[in-house]
Amino acid sequence: MSRVYRTREGTVSAVDTRTQLSTLGSETAPGPLLVPQGKTKLVRIIAAQCFNMAAATGYSALIRLEGPGLPEGPESFALGAGGAGVATGGNGVNHAIAIDVDIPVTAANEILIFGEMCGTDVGSSEFVVTCVFE
Amino acid sequence: MSRTFTVEGDIASADTRTLLTTQGSVTAPSAVVPSGMTKIDKIVVAASTEGLANGAQSYFLRLGGAAIKNGEQVIAISAVGRIAPQAGSDAAPQLMPAVVLNNLDIEVSASDTVTVAVEGAGDDTGTGHAVVTIFYS
Repeated sequence: MSRVYRTREGTVSAVDTRTQLSTLGSETAPGPLLVPQGKTKLVRIIAAQCFNMAAATGYSALIRLEGPGLPEGPESFALGAGGAGVATGGNGVNHAIAIDVDIPVTAANEILIFGEMCGTDVGSSEFVVTCVFE
Repeated sequence: MSRTFTVEGDIASADTRTLLTTQGSVTAPSAVVPSGMTKIDKIVVAASTEGLANGAQSYFLRLGGAAIKNGEQVIAISAVGRIAPQAGSDAAPQLMPAVVLNNLDIEVSASDTVTVAVEGAGDDTGTGHAVVTIFYS
């Protein structure tokens, strides 16, 4: 069975705060991320995040999946961690990571994707998350 | 058997779907899916920024066109961050090795055209550049 790729992104600007990723770049209102018809499993998460290094501190990042599209309940995934010793002169690039999973989903129901910055407030962090359905 | 198709290009603006249509010295590579190919099995992709402006930005790939049987597929690539160095200092480069995504299983129709676009979201951290290789099988 072929796979289908659905993505959302967003900026997380508050620490320890569940922040929904609801946009897709030029699509500011792409609507709910619905499990595609005929798909029964979430088989992979592809995700990346990076922070703006605006504060001299550290953090970790995780993503949460929730909503009626997940009949077994919410799931969460570690995505990365980082920090900066000074608030001047930091930069970095994080490539996406692929996490293979086997999570049942309910077609035509919504999955909500959240990003979260944990630990201390490093400024803001940009998240992009792809759900791969099969 | 597999076949490859590579395109690259500048990503000049944030929140803008930007088509990648060139391949370095080849300015107009054919985007037609080769005969006999039925799916995209693998992608090798990198996207980063020159980092001339502060902020955090993510990049994602849009695969579309008549060749993609189930409609546009959107895939996360990377995220970048940057804060200005203090006066008199130079910033470090923004480097991203390509990431390889295997076992993608995206259905395509041979002889139709695929469109490859990359988009940056969040802050505009300066001009980005992206390169994408599609492996058909």
